[in-house]
Amino acid sequence: MDDAHSKRRLRDLIVAAVLTCIAALVPLFVKDVYVQNIMVLTLMYAALSQAWNILGGYCGQISLGHALYFGLGAYTTVLLFTKFGVLPWFGMLGGGLISAVIAMALGYPTFRLRGHYFVIATIVIAEIGFLLFHNWDWAGAALGIDIPVRGDSWAKFQFTRSKLPYYYFALVFCCVAWLVTWWLENSKWGYWWRAVKDNPEAAESLGVVVFNSKMGAAAVSAFLTAIGGAFYAMFVSYIDPESVMTFQFSLLMALPAVLGGIGTLWGPVLGAVILIPLTELTRSFIGGSGRGVDLILYGTVIVVISLARPEGLIGLFAKRRKEVAR
Amino acid sequence: MKIDRRHLLLGGAASAAVLPFAKPARAQAKEVVIGVIYPLSGASAQIGVDAQKAFQTAAELINNKYDFDLPLARDEGLPGLGGAKVRLVFADHQADPQKGRAEAERLITQEKVSAIVGTYQSAVAVTVSQICERYQIPFLSADNSSPSLHRRGLKFYFRAAPHDEMFSQAMFDFFDALKKKGKKIETLALFHEDTIFGTDSSNAQLKLAQERGYKVVADIKYRANSPSLTAEVQQLKAADADVLMPSSYTTDAILLIRTMGELGYKAKNIVAQDAGFSEKALYDAVGDKIPGVISRGSFSLDLAAKRPMVGKINDMYKANSGKDFNDYSSRQFMGLIVMADAINRAKSTDGEKIREALVATDMPGEKTIMPWKQVKFDAEGQNTFADPVLLQYVGGKFVTIFPEQAAVAEAIWPMP
Amino acid sequence: MTTATIIQSLASGLLMGLLYGLVAVGLALIFGLMDVTNFAHGEFLMLAMYMTFFLFAFFAIDPLLAAPLVGAAMFVFGAVAYLLVVRFAMRAKANIGMVQIFTTFGLAILMRGLAQYFFTPDYRSINVSWLGGKTISLGGVFLPVPQLVGALVSLAAFGALYFFIKKTDFGRALEATREDAGAVALVGIDKNKVFALGWGLGGALVGLAGAVMAMFFYIYPDVGASFALIAYVTVALGGFGSVFGAFAGGIIVGLVEASTALILPPSLKSVGIYAVYLLVVFIRPRGLFGSI
Repeated sequence: MDDAHSKRRLRDLIVAAVLTCIAALVPLFVKDVYVQNIMVLTLMYAALSQAWNILGGYCGQISLGHALYFGLGAYTTVLLFTKFGVLPWFGMLGGGLISAVIAMALGYPTFRLRGHYFVIATIVIAEIGFLLFHNWDWAGAALGIDIPVRGDSWAKFQFTRSKLPYYYFALVFCCVAWLVTWWLENSKWGYWWRAVKDNPEAAESLGVVVFNSKMGAAAVSAFLTAIGGAFYAMFVSYIDPESVMTFQFSLLMALPAVLGGIGTLWGPVLGAVILIPLTELTRSFIGGSGRGVDLILYGTVIVVISLARPEGLIGLFAKRRKEVAR
Repeated sequence: MKIDRRHLLLGGAASAAVLPFAKPARAQAKEVVIGVIYPLSGASAQIGVDAQKAFQTAAELINNKYDFDLPLARDEGLPGLGGAKVRLVFADHQADPQKGRAEAERLITQEKVSAIVGTYQSAVAVTVSQICERYQIPFLSADNSSPSLHRRGLKFYFRAAPHDEMFSQAMFDFFDALKKKGKKIETLALFHEDTIFGTDSSNAQLKLAQERGYKVVADIKYRANSPSLTAEVQQLKAADADVLMPSSYTTDAILLIRTMGELGYKAKNIVAQDAGFSEKALYDAVGDKIPGVISRGSFSLDLAAKRPMVGKINDMYKANSGKDFNDYSSRQFMGLIVMADAINRAKSTDGEKIREALVATDMPGEKTIMPWKQVKFDAEGQNTFADPVLLQYVGGKFVTIFPEQAAVAEAIWPMP
Repeated sequence: MTTATIIQSLASGLLMGLLYGLVAVGLALIFGLMDVTNFAHGEFLMLAMYMTFFLFAFFAIDPLLAAPLVGAAMFVFGAVAYLLVVRFAMRAKANIGMVQIFTTFGLAILMRGLAQYFFTPDYRSINVSWLGGKTISLGGVFLPVPQLVGALVSLAAFGALYFFIKKTDFGRALEATREDAGAVALVGIDKNKVFALGWGLGGALVGLAGAVMAMFFYIYPDVGASFALIAYVTVALGGFGSVFGAFAGGIIVGLVEASTALILPPSLKSVGIYAVYLLVVFIRPRGLFGSI
């Protein structure tokens, strides 16, 4: 690791710290709950996309089935809370661990698959999970689970009107996901992942270590995604399979990373900051027409960004793009 | 209190962002803003777009003078608020509970709505009504039929229309009546989609069948919007029950009827839980294949014979949308009328006052366009006097066949 | 469960499977040619169904006659989609797979929005056609005529495609481009022309599928979503890069779906398809007949 490299990493860390401070101060000036809601979602998707990016971007295992882990996090938390009175914080941790274990169990057979075979395997596995939850009566099946909200409480992580607790949780979540990525990027795992992506055949000689590093990536990625799911469930205070486990969700988690810059530290953050407000605002202010104009706009933006900046929007900012994107 | 123009003009998120959060001063006197949350894009956009027209028709009636015996029709605007006009703000929830919630919050805090009406999908009604409860804004569920909705102890939740248990009860009352007349009804086949609507509906039907001694010979739950229903229809055909009871949205209902034809299965009788079976699109597509199909509903155009205004209001809606009122659009229309009537009586746009007025609602059935006895809410906010009707599709249109006091014709049983 | 039920299930599954094959083959062709998964494939199908519907509604052209017209129009649409959009997605240097997935995903959303804008979200269907609603009964086993014709169209399309790829110059150019795009450039074949032709053919095939399906299915802006995932699984099950694989994959998917519904609650019938897919790729990581 040369000098320029460690300088760059230090700079990334400083930039992240400054951005976090700014983000922490924003709610002092932005009091509108609708805007705060968008900010919460933006941070949440930035974190989720960062989590996806660890497996999909750095490790090169493109998963379009992360809705499974998201849903597992949400369901574990809500089921433990509503059925057994377990506080959501423990449920969140439990959901994360369950997801990590399942991700490794699924990774074992699926990591042998290449390219689109892998992508479609992740889609159908998540789809099976969705269908099972959709038909599982004890877990509410299609009716979903409504979390009764009775006053503000940090222990139960529910707040009637204030968005600030959710906002700061999402901010911390986003920072953690970023820091994990920042740390992994420079770890041995990160080195192997780059090796695998650059030259899969050569990496095969590394065999077992590479396979283990992929399993590790899957576990970390699934764990963080499940935390996001648990957060989402408490934030919305109602879940059903349709709203937390569909394929659409898997796409939404990958999209910010892809548009922002896949396999980069800042790509998911940048992608989420642009994409989420755009989705929300177009729906709110154009969607009311009922003519699908919001979809037209949203679709056009995705196509245009993908075509104009195939390496991601991060390319607009970083001169060192070549180095980052390799 | 004067209207604060600044509040009215603030639509953009950016400018609203600087407003400190406080209990917002709601617009007074000149207009009353009511939020309407529907799926306006995505798979059920068609419902939302039709709903928009129904609500606009209701607002038109409220805001202008019409000689109908319907609350607020004879006045311009809301007399209780000095003739204030009703302004509707539409929001799109795309059938996503999270988005419905965000939109409800936006309507309440930015658009300063005094009340919210919605939402078609019951899952979205769950989150929207939660938000309304938190902000103490009344929510009127116009067309959600999930029975669990009003049983959550919410103070600001109201539903003027019947729910699935009431609807299913009407069907079984109808079966009992037919049996008394000597018709043979022993076996039932339930065919329902797998989202909230189908699940709730089949749960109610299973329970009633058990209580009243009907044998359920097939209980088929299918995946909504499946590319094929062949396997499902085969099981129905094998069961060949006396009555087929589908709970399906338009898409699946069309495919169901077509697949039945393809597999040579003609049901002895069909008694449908509304949804797809009240949509014009279904009858355009396969109406000729199901003469005599019976669907529950809360609206029937033949009420126009007794109550001429029903026909005239239907014409207004038709001019606007190109369609007759159906079970959904009529409930949406009435939803806004009931809500506006309460706001008028509250003489205020304060959430708590409107809630009190809603609780005190006592609207006689003749002053609605529905076959209901009355609009009066119980302690849970459910109108228990909203009698559902059963309609039979005969000669290209629907006629009311049940209950007796509303019926204009005898049921044709078995269906031709 | 009687024998008749089982036979009926298998017959219906086979017909549906051939149709799935027809829907999927365009996807398989495009994928085999240039390693691109078209996530807007379902929306291509939707567009073809709308074309068939409007030809019927405005010009009273029966879907059966409309099929070649729709096929031709979709050929143009596919080629244009390649030249205007997908071509540029191919330029990505890194993560080319992801860029293509999301470009076509964006295209899918855009097409749905446009369909809602121009065609309204109303549910449409063709209620009177030559074949619609007709059915043949063979000893108690019912075979609906539209699906039967769909199956024949599917067989014919696969046959023609096989012939086209193996026996014609352009077909060989397609194959060669698939195997080594760089080398064909040296012998003077314009890669873009070949790819545009591939997308055109893929569009034409899904056009035929759309015309057939319009005879018995409903049509609305989101209709493609019901078929898209099944089409991807069909292609992957058969093996990417193999047109015959898509054919076999379609039949397997149709049969598995029908038989799962006999065993599990019908709402879980896709689980059977997904499980078979996973089973196949865990044993054969390149699908049944895949070369890539």
